[in-house]
Amino acid sequence: MATPEVVAEKESLAGINADYKEKFGFHDSESGYAYKAPKGLTREIVESISEYKDEPQWMRDFRLKSLEHFESRPTPKWGGDLDQIDFDDIHYFVRASEKNSRDWSEVPEDIKNTFDRLGIPEAERKFLSGVGAQYESEVVYHQVNEKLEAQGVIFTDMDTALREHEDLVREYWATIIPPNDNKLAALNSAVWSGGSFVYVPAGVKVEMPLQAYFRINTENMGQFERTLIICEEGADVHYIEGCTAPVYSTDSLHSAVVEICAKPSSRVRYTTVQNWSQNVFNLVTKRAVAHEKATMEWVDCNLGSKLTMKYPSIYLLGPEAHGEILSIAFAGQGQHQDAGGKIIHAAPRTSSSIFSKSISKDGGRSTYRGLLEVADGATETRSKVVCDALLLDEDSRSDTYPTIRIDENDADVGHEATVSKIGDEQLFYLQSRGLDEEEASKMIVNGFIEPVTKELPMEYAVELNRLIELQMEGSIG
Amino acid sequence: MTDGTTTKISVCPASELPPGGMKLIEHEDMKIGVFNCDGTLLAIEDRCSHDDGPLAEGEFDAAACTIECPRHGSLFDLSTGRPKTLPAFAPVQTFATTVVDDTIVLEVP
Repeated sequence: MATPEVVAEKESLAGINADYKEKFGFHDSESGYAYKAPKGLTREIVESISEYKDEPQWMRDFRLKSLEHFESRPTPKWGGDLDQIDFDDIHYFVRASEKNSRDWSEVPEDIKNTFDRLGIPEAERKFLSGVGAQYESEVVYHQVNEKLEAQGVIFTDMDTALREHEDLVREYWATIIPPNDNKLAALNSAVWSGGSFVYVPAGVKVEMPLQAYFRINTENMGQFERTLIICEEGADVHYIEGCTAPVYSTDSLHSAVVEICAKPSSRVRYTTVQNWSQNVFNLVTKRAVAHEKATMEWVDCNLGSKLTMKYPSIYLLGPEAHGEILSIAFAGQGQHQDAGGKIIHAAPRTSSSIFSKSISKDGGRSTYRGLLEVADGATETRSKVVCDALLLDEDSRSDTYPTIRIDENDADVGHEATVSKIGDEQLFYLQSRGLDEEEASKMIVNGFIEPVTKELPMEYAVELNRLIELQMEGSIG
Repeated sequence: MTDGTTTKISVCPASELPPGGMKLIEHEDMKIGVFNCDGTLLAIEDRCSHDDGPLAEGEFDAAACTIECPRHGSLFDLSTGRPKTLPAFAPVQTFATTVVDDTIVLEVP
């Protein structure tokens, strides 16, 4: 018989175990929308986005050049099956509201209700330093703690940043991920809209996280936000992003670009809880540079989407810089999570770690794809790569593609990989302690991902565990 | 012609490389791109330090004195060989150029 604690836990989960469609997969009416571009990607569409946003000429030129790169590059044949994406069947720009507000009461009612349902205003009140809420192509709400603003912290949407801090944006723009880096980065560079701009002045510690929440509502929608974080010397910031979308029978595309510059002795942590619906292709390029004695951390949780291809990377450019990537992927029925991370040691005495955890069930496929490079001149480096995969049934699949390149003799590099199944003995032991089979499996899975969840703020760790429990529902028997 | 530490290579008559022009030459097993940046002659190794792909035939901005790698978009400063954008982070080799008797001459180690 289950203990009272387990019964209580089970009851608390009962409300959460409403399916994705009800909790996140609802969609709003589009009747009040300000603008919706026709489907397809043309030079005219790109020009109209730029014109609509009243951008400077250099940005318009950047977009058009990026479009040429996108059109001239072949679709990648590695990773997931990208041939399923019909680039002509996507709305590349949708403006739901004319206004970006700093007050929830000014956000259009439908959109505000959506973010209320997703718990964003409540989270802002409780434990965040600032919030950005992007709905379709643009940010509809943005707010940052007044004390931080007084210290010179800038946290705004990218469109506003381009208008109000053009020189600062231009100095860093596309220097970490140039438009011709890859086909999807070129696409984002051509049609980007929204995203966050974060600037933390030297020595400022942002105690509570900044959060951005991304929501796609329209069917066949493309969301292409662009985020740039600049953390000056000795500063510290934690940025969190979350995302969901309605459940549709046709596909949507999310292709973001995230660039981060961690200056000397600074620390940046970027946490993602990706929970797109299973009709979203999630193809994201994320890259950070860490200068001398800086620390850069990616905490990357991929639960949703049809196909995710995302490999956050860190270039350790200054001596004694440190990089960490914690990646968790959950691949259920019809999902392919092709995730991982890249760390490039380009300076002496740098250190890093990559911990990847993947869980596959119901025929889902998870892939770890990673790179660890120790460049010529990066002496006395240390790095550890650990990839653990958990397969919950015979139909699921896990692949690991670790690449390690070392050009220095004194590098201390370790690589470990494990693939495991939930063992009958583990289940039997837990069941002998009063848990049923499903609860026992959830407990084993939660233990498996614990190294990642313990790095999350408590609210997100709880949510991540709940989401995984939701995904686990019905996985046994 | 070798002067002890460097070898001097004749590239072409100066008139054949006008402002905004680029000429690719081969020396032993190395390819070198010679550029005319609006009157200033600059030369770099034709190899992106990111993945060793060809570099010199990328997009050349004579006014900014930069070359963009055609493979992944790293932008290199032609005067220093240093990348201004990722994914490349290591510099590529540069070479001194002079004009002698109306001929562009390159000094390679």
